[in-house]
Amino acid sequence: MNEEKLIQAAKQLGASAAERLDVEATARKVLERLREQPAPRTIWTRTMWLRIAAAVVLVVGGVFAVARVTPERGSGAHHPDLIADELRDLSTDDLRTLLTSFDQIIDESVVPDSTADLPELDTQALRELLKEG
Amino acid sequence: MTAQPATAEHPTDTALIAAWRDGDEQAAAALVARHARALARFLSGAGAPEAELDDLVQETFIRAFRSVDRFRGQCQFRTWLMTIGGNVLKDFGRKSSRRQVMPLDDAVRDVGGDPHEHAEATEAEALIVEGLKKLPRMQREVFLLRAQQGLEYEEIAAALATSPGAARVHYHHAVRRLKEIIA
Repeated sequence: MNEEKLIQAAKQLGASAAERLDVEATARKVLERLREQPAPRTIWTRTMWLRIAAAVVLVVGGVFAVARVTPERGSGAHHPDLIADELRDLSTDDLRTLLTSFDQIIDESVVPDSTADLPELDTQALRELLKEG
Repeated sequence: MTAQPATAEHPTDTALIAAWRDGDEQAAAALVARHARALARFLSGAGAPEAELDDLVQETFIRAFRSVDRFRGQCQFRTWLMTIGGNVLKDFGRKSSRRQVMPLDDAVRDVGGDPHEHAEATEAEALIVEGLKKLPRMQREVFLLRAQQGLEYEEIAAALATSPGAARVHYHHAVRRLKEIIA
């Protein structure tokens, strides 16, 4: 088969099947399905916002943790008021993550037995523990 | 595919898409009516079984209408629709254990004229469909968009996110391989 015949035959591919398609019925079914099945757009948007929020929390928490464990460079960097303000912005999970990271670098005496019960502490208790640290 | 002048009776695809975005269901129905047959031909040529053709066309339109915000007019709506159809068909192929092309029934292809010529045409189409199944997806879709739908390489490239040169190469590879397979 030469190219010309090939193209000619290709132009006819599916022509009869397409002719048999009931276009009006197809349109009607498409509209019905669009009405019946909820659009995933809202879910997608919500999921994306949750992912973005989680990423922001991780970044902020990570930066804060790094700032806490990095040797002090400036006198104002670890001012207690500043730390307290930053702590207020963190969620319970952030604070737990932060405290867990302390376990690896801070002396046992600084974070005593309470470390074992971290998951049971509430936000206020975690804040107090951090301030003490 | 020729662009028709926009009138109140024949609004452009762009106008219908905008109307659909504003919640006009009839605009969606008009788009289906306008493009369903071309889409069905494309899907059929790409290997869609005829028994599934209606469902595959529906699914393609549903996906298109739901993701219409991603259509930026980079190509014609119909071409974009066919790329979505390609994805729908791929998903269908994954789900279905059988990947059988539509039976090429002589009776339904008989549209008059010389029966001998029709028999030859039908056989040629059957061979092409079988050959197309053996091509990589990109070659198959480029071939169909070019040979079956008559699109320019620029349009094909825009729809398939490739360059016109690459689309041309895919097309020529497809033709060469089809000729080898069919010979």
